Amino acid sequence: MTREYILEAGYLFIMDKKTLIIGLGNPILTDDGVGVKVARELEEQINLEAHPELTITEASAGGLRLMEALLGYERVILIDAFYLNSESTTPGKIHHLSLDDLRSISPTQHSTSAHDTSLITALDTAEELGYQIPGEFSIYAVEVENILEFSETPTPAVAKAIPIVVSQILKEFSFTTH
Amino acid sequence: MERITIDPITRLEGHGKIEIFLNEEGNVKNAYLQIPELRGFEQFSIGRPAEEMPRITNRICGVCPEAHHMAATKALDALFDIEPSPVVKKLRELFYSAFYVTDHTVHFYALGGPDFVLGPDSNPAERNILGVIHKVGVDIGIQVIECRKRNHEVIKMLGGRGVHPVAGLPGGWSKSMTKEEREIILDYSQKNIDFALFSLKLFDDIVLANQAYVDLIVSDAFTHKTYYMGTVDDKNLINFYDGLIRVTGPEGAELVKYPSKDYAQHIAERVEPWSYLKFPYLKDVGWKGFVDGVDSGVYCATPLSRFNAADGMATPKAQEHFERFYETLGSKKVDGRFTPVHHRLATHWARLIEMLYAAERMQELANDPEILDPNVRPIATNTPTEGVGSVEAPRGTLTHHYKTDENGILTDVNLIVGTTNNYAPIAMSIKKAAEGLIKGGVVNEGLLNTIEMAFRNYDPCMSCATHSLPGQMPLEVEIKDADGNLIDTQRQYID
Repeated sequence: MTREYILEAGYLFIMDKKTLIIGLGNPILTDDGVGVKVARELEEQINLEAHPELTITEASAGGLRLMEALLGYERVILIDAFYLNSESTTPGKIHHLSLDDLRSISPTQHSTSAHDTSLITALDTAEELGYQIPGEFSIYAVEVENILEFSETPTPAVAKAIPIVVSQILKEFSFTTH
Repeated sequence: MERITIDPITRLEGHGKIEIFLNEEGNVKNAYLQIPELRGFEQFSIGRPAEEMPRITNRICGVCPEAHHMAATKALDALFDIEPSPVVKKLRELFYSAFYVTDHTVHFYALGGPDFVLGPDSNPAERNILGVIHKVGVDIGIQVIECRKRNHEVIKMLGGRGVHPVAGLPGGWSKSMTKEEREIILDYSQKNIDFALFSLKLFDDIVLANQAYVDLIVSDAFTHKTYYMGTVDDKNLINFYDGLIRVTGPEGAELVKYPSKDYAQHIAERVEPWSYLKFPYLKDVGWKGFVDGVDSGVYCATPLSRFNAADGMATPKAQEHFERFYETLGSKKVDGRFTPVHHRLATHWARLIEMLYAAERMQELANDPEILDPNVRPIATNTPTEGVGSVEAPRGTLTHHYKTDENGILTDVNLIVGTTNNYAPIAMSIKKAAEGLIKGGVVNEGLLNTIEMAFRNYDPCMSCATHSLPGQMPLEVEIKDADGNLIDTQRQYID
């Protein structure tokens, strides 16, 4: 865990960086909500009293709205579904990405999107406008199978990945659990 | 129909595909937009308590959860047969107006605007909000973000939660407004009015002052003469939250005006063998295919449609701009109302005027002496049976229809979402754009740009519930010959 130590008036303060865990997706659209389900599970397991620096939330927004939700945090742990829809996809496969990785798989800066821009464009926009964007990104993306059908239950392979992502995040950031 | 195969790198969420079919001569015969449809919502909902619908349906879409929340809440009013009190209606409309300001802001600055601000022929990589900022300045970008921020704050304040509001109750609203909240909203609504006026000035300076753009807007390539749908108040003025649904014809005459519960008497859905989309049309006119004209039941439901279906706007500044809109675009007043404007690209201008109206309406409602009335949570006592609720979503009339058993458990659910209304006109606009650029089997440059402009003005919402990574939808166009063989694929992305 990243910590800053500040000596003030003879006392040593441990200042944890302000961290956001954000699960993305639609929890009622089969696999689309895998990120939300991971975030909810982390909220159950992490001892939040031991982590006053931590906020856990969920969002189904992309692009600008997501970027706005991230502003003000120094570190972001983002969990989302990764939809390839090709023969070579492996549902349940977990990708651990940096922001640069995300940038490299975003094929375009173009706003052909239905009603929003990509997160990358949104973050670039924020930077251009002089906003401080989070310095650290840890992105967990789970390959998914079905994001077009309404259901609260993920497909089996994706369901299996949920506890694995949860434990990877707990380990990566040494979060204290209950 | 041949299934799409796409390189995995470009395979993204909410993929929209355009298919263009050529005839024997190699000219455009038909062009269609294929949108992946979400499946199984009805089955998902059946068996659940109806009062959960405002919170469930707002999950359908990550772009306009507020519109679904509101349509669902209004369907519950009807289902439980409980008339909301004036303060409830006003709080809901105030909340909804804040949503309109932010939604229309995004469209103009991030989506529709770049075509004009940067030009229709500019590099696609630049034609986004970032490009707009480079062109018009960082200050404007900050204003856009600030506008969104303050209105999301209002949405959270009144709706109980940031992205997916929770305040809607049958006949009520879970939270009344405090004096302090009113002060904040009054401040914000003035800022919204200023920002809307500023945006209209920008539209004047960049678009209307440029003859080439004006020519493009009024050009035949972007013109369709169809029926128009919109919700109007008792004076036939535009209202986003409530009223009767009015449909007017290509010549401007009113075809029909009905309460939303009668929608099934007036709207039917056309099924085509080549698409799983259903194309709504006007029953009173009938289906004649994807064609313009007074005999064709194709209708449109967009900001431009709301303008054409109404007699005016209920707030003073927006009304001024409404009149200027029609006068500038060459419309005449007949029997007290303007003849319709059919130029689809004018939708962008109408959208900005709607933003001004929403901002003014926010201010009016926040100033209303009744708005602080704390009695917002009535108890529904009637046995539920069936209810329809509708609102004007930013991208078209949105209708929710529920049936339940006597315990309020859902037995039947039907939704007509905003974009659905426009499936037929979108297909027509794409076809027209393609016709100009494909001749004798030769595809001319600029096809993708022109097609994008043609459909973007409808602000279509495609499977917007999903935001999986990488999180962006490329435009893909497939061109097929008379035998259905794929002869060309064009994609709008940068390697």
